[in-house]
Amino acid sequence: MEIQAHRAPTTSGDPSLATADAETADAALAASGDARAFERLYRAHVARVHSLARRMIDGDDPDDITQDVFIRAWEKLGTFRGEAAFGTWLHRLAVNVILARRKQVGVARTRYDSAEDALDGATAPRQTPDVGMDFESAMATLPDGARQVFVLHDVAGYTHEEIAGMLGVVPGTSKSQLHHARMAMRRHLQG
Amino acid sequence: MLALLATVTALTFTASADTSVPVASTDTTVPVTRGARLDVNNFGGDITIKTWDKNAVRITADNSDRERVDVDAGASVVTVRTSSRYGAPRLVSFEITVPTWMAMTLEGTYTDITVTGSAGDVSATTVQGDIEVTGGSGHLSLNSTSGTVKVSKAHGRIEAVTVNDGITILDCAGEISAETTNGDIEMHGIDASSVEAATINGDVTYDGTIKDGGHYSFSTNNGDVSVSLPVGANATVNASTFNGDFDACFPVQMTSPHKHRYTFTVGTGSARIEMESFGGDLTLCRPGQSKQSRHDRDEDNDNDNNQ
Amino acid sequence: MTDRWMDRLSEYLDGTLAPAEREALEAHVAGCPACTTALAELRRVVARARALDDRAPAADLWPGIAARIGARGTVLPFARRAGRRISFTVPQLAAAGIAIVALSVGAGWLALTRHAPPGTAAISGSSVEHNAIWVRGADSEYDAAVAQLRAALNDNRSQLDSSTVRVLERNLAIIDSAVAEARHALAQDPNNSYLNHHLAETMRRKVELLRRASSLAGART
Repeated sequence: MEIQAHRAPTTSGDPSLATADAETADAALAASGDARAFERLYRAHVARVHSLARRMIDGDDPDDITQDVFIRAWEKLGTFRGEAAFGTWLHRLAVNVILARRKQVGVARTRYDSAEDALDGATAPRQTPDVGMDFESAMATLPDGARQVFVLHDVAGYTHEEIAGMLGVVPGTSKSQLHHARMAMRRHLQG
Repeated sequence: MLALLATVTALTFTASADTSVPVASTDTTVPVTRGARLDVNNFGGDITIKTWDKNAVRITADNSDRERVDVDAGASVVTVRTSSRYGAPRLVSFEITVPTWMAMTLEGTYTDITVTGSAGDVSATTVQGDIEVTGGSGHLSLNSTSGTVKVSKAHGRIEAVTVNDGITILDCAGEISAETTNGDIEMHGIDASSVEAATINGDVTYDGTIKDGGHYSFSTNNGDVSVSLPVGANATVNASTFNGDFDACFPVQMTSPHKHRYTFTVGTGSARIEMESFGGDLTLCRPGQSKQSRHDRDEDNDNDNNQ
Repeated sequence: MTDRWMDRLSEYLDGTLAPAEREALEAHVAGCPACTTALAELRRVVARARALDDRAPAADLWPGIAARIGARGTVLPFARRAGRRISFTVPQLAAAGIAIVALSVGAGWLALTRHAPPGTAAISGSSVEHNAIWVRGADSEYDAAVAQLRAALNDNRSQLDSSTVRVLERNLAIIDSAVAEARHALAQDPNNSYLNHHLAETMRRKVELLRRASSLAGART
């Protein structure tokens, strides 16, 4: 059979035990106000957070979201207990920030769409196969719910139960959204 | 002229209870409905609160025509403020009579605050001034920077904080916390289930009940801690001192003899007592007993050539 | 018929079908070219998703983040940037007070943070907003942070009544000397739990006093 849930590899690969220890120490330092320690954590995780933001939200500024995530992480460092890896904790927090943001952006989304289109030049009308579009850009064309589940499950490795909790749906909805997304993404395998 | 103005203003005032009317008078009474609060902010000068059974608030002040006294009787809050018409603000002292049930927020900078007989919640804050509360059954939150805080005959939740002076709590019951930096904390006649008393440069004295399940914490840096333990009380005692001594007026059995830290149980050990002093002595006696600290006693012995 | 099987392909891939259903689906797929193709494509989609690389943003976002968390760990609202001179407002200085790190104590140090993890010992006090947690780490920035607050207090002395300033200074000195005593004692007996607790509590008191000072000065502006 197939596929266990996994966490998408960071650019540096799975953290070794030493790295995890160092990050936990940095988190503790940062929790007490050490901005240099927090910068080290930022450098180690910004790519993953930014990529998550880009993939989850269409029509909002991923740079802005990324900053919000790290500010929030800074505020919440006192709640990080070092039992899980810092990256896991941060990723979870990023998802929460992004989803909360999603609710705010949703209303304004129609206003942003045309501007984003002009800037990105990457949006194709939905349902039109586009073999020239790369895989990641194609994800942006998915409907919101399906895209979020796809990113959270297949890219980030959360389970349907976890995703259901995050999105406020039942696991069955998560499963069907995932399938919908995967089926839609078949068109972009060449990209 | 001033008297006429006062009368006119007073009449106008009672007719329209929702407007803010600056008064040059020294005597204004406004009706209030139950549940309303009092909010006083006085830059300099005293705030004295008395209570009565009427559902009305009477504000008297000793301002001249150089100061404005603004009384705003809203539906849920009666607000009293002072401002200076011209020149430097002088001190204006208030005497305000409120319904016994009324909660209040009293603030001032160079202000002594005195409250007597209130059953409502009292929040009193001053910078340079003493706070004295007598009677009370609400939540008392009393805060000074340079001034004493004294509470008597109150029960409920009592929080007393100052920086540069002492705190005295007499004949009070409930949950009590007292914190100062440069002053003594004296607590006598207390009937409480939760007591916290902390100072840096001063002594802490507690004479009161120790109830089963209660929590009592007394700490100082430079001074002595004296706690009374009534006969029959049940407590687990942790006494920590770095440079000082621990003394008990009655025999105790140390359960964990440890350098600087004395732990023992009395009776069932139900209540928790923590006594801490960095440099001073810790003394545990019976109510009404006072034991001189060992240093004093040694001096006496030397002087008297006794024992 | 085909749709029903198609719809279950993802669950099959993820291994969440019951054994009986799994066997039935496998049996069907074996004889259904469309399903076989779809299954293969779905596998590739999942593999592509898992293989996506993370990409950092084109711009370095750290300066923006650093500005918003401030030099001493204050979180400033987005619109407000820290000025050159410390503006003596309650939220800024209070937050700076919260971020003050305690001294290094032998093998570990004490951080005063607003949100302590559950199960951490709370330092008792009449206004417990802070909890102390023990953390392993490097040397502190406590003295520097306190010096900065003191400097701000001095800058704003004229805004506080002189006798109030004297009172605050005197009590800061009282607490300072208590802190020094405690540190000295702790240096000789680092694992003494009373001393550790005592030092943490004394430092919390200092932070509280500095916050009080800042709010008193701030009230004047």
